[in-house]
Parts: sequence; structure tokens; C-alpha cells
Amino acid sequence: MEILLLLAMNGLIWGLIIALIALGLSVIFGLLDIINIAHGDFFMVGTMVAWATVEASGNFWLAFLAAPLIGFVLGALIQRIVIQPIRNAAALSIVATFGLSMIMQETARLTFGAIPKRLLPPIQQTLTVFGLEYEVYRLFAAALAIAALAGFFLYLHRTKIGTWMRAVRHDRDTAIAMGIPAEKVYVLTFAIGFALAAFGGAVAAPITTVDFRGGVDILPVCFMAVIIGGLGNLPGTAAAAVLLAFMEGVIQSFADPTVARIASLVLMSAVLLIRPQGLFKGFAR
Amino acid sequence: MTRTAVDRGMFAAFAVLMLAVPWIVPELLGAFWVSVIAEILIWSLLAASVNLLFGYVGLLSFGQALYFGFGMYGVGIGIAHLGLSFWPAFGLGIVASMAMALVAGIFAVRLTWHYFAIITVVFSLIFYFLFLTIKPVTGGDDGINFTLPPTFRFGSTEIGLADSTFQYFFILFFVAACFWLMHRVIRSPLGKALMAIRDNDVRASLIGLNIYLLRLVAFVMAGFLAGVSGALFALFGRYSSASYMFYHVSGEAVVWAIVGGTGTLFGPFVGTGIFILVREVISTQWHHHLLIVGVIAILIVMFAPRGFVGLWHNLMDRLFSPRGSP
Repeated sequence: MEILLLLAMNGLIWGLIIALIALGLSVIFGLLDIINIAHGDFFMVGTMVAWATVEASGNFWLAFLAAPLIGFVLGALIQRIVIQPIRNAAALSIVATFGLSMIMQETARLTFGAIPKRLLPPIQQTLTVFGLEYEVYRLFAAALAIAALAGFFLYLHRTKIGTWMRAVRHDRDTAIAMGIPAEKVYVLTFAIGFALAAFGGAVAAPITTVDFRGGVDILPVCFMAVIIGGLGNLPGTAAAAVLLAFMEGVIQSFADPTVARIASLVLMSAVLLIRPQGLFKGFAR
Repeated sequence: MTRTAVDRGMFAAFAVLMLAVPWIVPELLGAFWVSVIAEILIWSLLAASVNLLFGYVGLLSFGQALYFGFGMYGVGIGIAHLGLSFWPAFGLGIVASMAMALVAGIFAVRLTWHYFAIITVVFSLIFYFLFLTIKPVTGGDDGINFTLPPTFRFGSTEIGLADSTFQYFFILFFVAACFWLMHRVIRSPLGKALMAIRDNDVRASLIGLNIYLLRLVAFVMAGFLAGVSGALFALFGRYSSASYMFYHVSGEAVVWAIVGGTGTLFGPFVGTGIFILVREVISTQWHHHLLIVGVIAILIVMFAPRGFVGLWHNLMDRLFSPRGSP
């Protein structure tokens, strides 16, 4: 029973972090119509930045600033240089982001080495919840993820640029006719998507390992969340990420992690075939 | 000289070159490179299966590694666990991958575009994780090794893939046969129907084409190509491994096909050849050859979106189009 509770809780917290990353994937998909194969590597860049920050300054807290900042700048550059010229050919964008993924993984391996590294969390106390020793950092990570999610939704719905982003997604041509600088919105969207994933990486770094292949495992999970939540449905994506990770956590308490992964993939195929608009269409709009 | 003459001449030269590989290449470069060329031949079939779906039907599959894996395991399990001889095991690999493609296709071709790309990768991931779990049968990531039974037996003399020249021609024969088959399909009414669906599926359905059935047929044919590729690779490497079913393998095949040029018969072969040569040449000196692979992929989609074969066609257009006309 304790094990079940522990794994369910881990799943929930991991789900919140995944939600952050999947949200980036979902905005990029919804606005730019790109299947971003490199998105898992954006997460990996976040974990690497966290590791480098701790190495350089000894202060983990700086990483929560540095990761999204570097992610934002890299995202803006990548969109301007690579994505913008091929915007009208979605199939090509898959190849381009696959290329980006290789470049980022190899660059990370070149600079930081191939050996997975462990990072100590900035908060090392443990807490007793329901008779279980639990790391305080995980709870803190969950709080950070919730704060970032809430911040992003507020940004999207309460600021001018957020409204622009929603307008361009809704109807690009009308938005341009109304004077919204769509090109800038694209750059910003990609940058924010990268920043969200990189922030997720910094938050998750002490929970997982810092590895140049860290994004490879994350990517399918994020895609599952985006699909099950509904392509382009942001609240649905966040909810699906939490649901999926929670479900995998529960299944892992009595079966192999691979079985849990297979279960969520089967759920995803069912959603794609039966409700391609996502599980939450109609609720979360 | 006309343009067709140039194309024919190139093809004839290429065919002679491929037939002469086992005698020329060891002299010039070393015996190792014969097996590199064999590997290019094998993998080009996987890229061709992506090309058949994307270049001719307009469906981007990100899960062709699944059928490649079934081809591999059909051979591997057939030989190692079922004790089959050479040809039944080869057949089992191809049949298994086509059966899998049929089952997956029944669901997958109901979807198009993004959804199709995602459902194909999801199906391949399901079986990737499944094959990792059933280790006693599949060997998981480590795979299963086996010794090859002889290909032909005449009385007491046995001919098998242990003879590297025979192995090369065995692979060349099947790869060439598959490309010839694909050429025939593209030229046939079936191929025209598939291209009609690619260009406009609504119009295609209005002239009475059964879109669903045609897409399914194309999907199974692509499964066949990927299956032959996987079966050949298992015979070539004498092992089968679940790691070849991961989505990265599918993704590489997509990159090879698009960089070479989709919608052309030889594009996938060119793309596969370039990437495998880059890997083999550079990885001996530098461990980070994937960096260069990534850069090539990006540069090609930015500056030559129709791939290397597209570049070649542009060059030919410029050389042979009458002055003044575009």
C-alpha cells in the first residue's frame, strides 16, 4: 500500500513536470504546425544547463533562471534560422527537427561527456507523509511546475502578446490582417516552447539523471500527453500529462515499468482512433 | 544527347558498377567497404518503404522500423527458436512484417497527416517495449544471435552467406528485385491511383477510387519493403535485436528518404548511401559524426527541399531545357 502511494505520488509530480514540457510541444504544434522531434532534447538542454550552473557557481537556484533564459534565446535563434525558411512544408520540419535533435545530443555529448551525472537537489530534507519518508524537493518541484503552468496560462490569457498568440493560432490570416505581427509571434512561440521544456529540465534534473540521451525517453511521453489531451488543447495536454504519469506510477507498483509504458501507448492509440480530438474536448475550452 | 539518354547512361553505368563491386572495391578500398555497400543496399529498402508511403501516397510514416523489426525477428526466431532452414526463415520474416503491416494499417490508414505519423510511431513503440519485455523470445536489447543455415545445398556442396561474394550478390539481387517491383507498381494503374490520392484525396475519391483500400494496399507494400530490408539485415548481421525497432531507426529512414528525394525511385538509395558513407568515413576519425548528419539534414531541407535527386533534376532541367523557356 505504501509503495502504491509512493509511486502514485511520484507519478503525479513527474506528471506535472511532463505537463510543462508537453505544453511547450503543444504550443509549438498548435501555432507552427510542426511535429517537433527535438523537443525532448530541449528538456535535455535544461538538465545540462542546470548541471553546468551548479558546476560553475555552486548555486542550484540560479539554474531555475538560467535554464529558461538560455532555452528562450536558443529557441528564438532556431526558429529564425531553421524553422522560418521551411515553414510551409510540415514534412520537412520533421526532418529539420530530427537534425536539430542529433546536433543537440552530439553537442551535449561533446561538451559534457557521455556519462550520466547525478545532481543533488538544492533542498535535501525529507518529510514524513502518511508514514513515508518523502523528499521535500519533489514537493517543491511540483509547486514550481504548477507555478510555471499557472504563469503560462495567465500570460496566454491576460497579456497582449498572449492574446496575439491565441489569435494567430485561431486564424492566422485574419490575425495578420488585424495587424498582429505573426512572424514575431512564431519566433516568440518557439522560444517559449523551448524555455518551458528547458525549465522543466532544470526542475527535473535532481530527480532524474543528467544525460545527453535524456530527451529520447521524454519525447514519447510528451507526445502521448499532447495526443491524449488533444492536439493544440493546452489545458487538456496538462491534464493528460498528469493522468498518464499517475497511471504509469500506479501500474509500476505491481508490474514492470515497460508494461506501464505499453499500457499508456495502448491508451494513446485508442484515443487517436476513437477520439482524435482528445479525451478532454468539450471540457477544457 | 537527350535527357533520357543521360539518365539511361547513368543507370547502366551504375548497374555495371554495382555488379563489379566485389572485384573492384576490395582492390581500391579494402574488403570492408563491400560490406558497407551491402549495408547501404539493405537500408535503402527501409528508406524506400518510407518513400513509397510519403512520396507516392502522401502518408508520412514514422514507424517503419516496426516492420523492419518483424522482418529481422521473423528470420531470427525462425532460425534460432523454430529451427527453420534458410528460405523458410527468410519467408517467415517477410510474411510476419506484411501481416503486422496489415493489422497496423487497418487502423493507421484511417488517419492522415500528423495523426498518421503519430499513430505509426505509437504502434512501433508498443512493439518495441513489448519485445524488450519478452526477453526469453527476443533477447531484448541484446538480441538473439544465430548461425546461418546454408542457402543452397547441391548434394554435399553447400553455398551460404559465409561466402562474402555470394552474400553481396544475394543482397544485391533482392534489393534490385524490390526496386524493380516498386518501379513496376509506380508505373501501373495502381501507382497512378496512389499518386492521385497523394495529390488530392477528395478528388480521387470522387472519381471512384477506394481511398481506404488503396492506402491499406500501399501500407502493406511498404511493410513488405521494410520487412525484406529487416530480413536481409538479420541474415547479413546473423542477429536480431529489439533496438532496431526504436523510433530513431524509423526517423533515420525518413531523413534518408527526404534528403535523397521523395517521390523518386532512387532518392532513398542516394540518401541512404550518403548518410551511411558519412558515418563510415567520419566515425573512424571522430566519434561525433551524428553532428554532421544533423547539419546535412537541416541544410538539405533548407536549401534543397526536393533532396539530392531534386538537385540533379534541376541541373538536368537547366542543361536540357531550350534557351528562353523555363
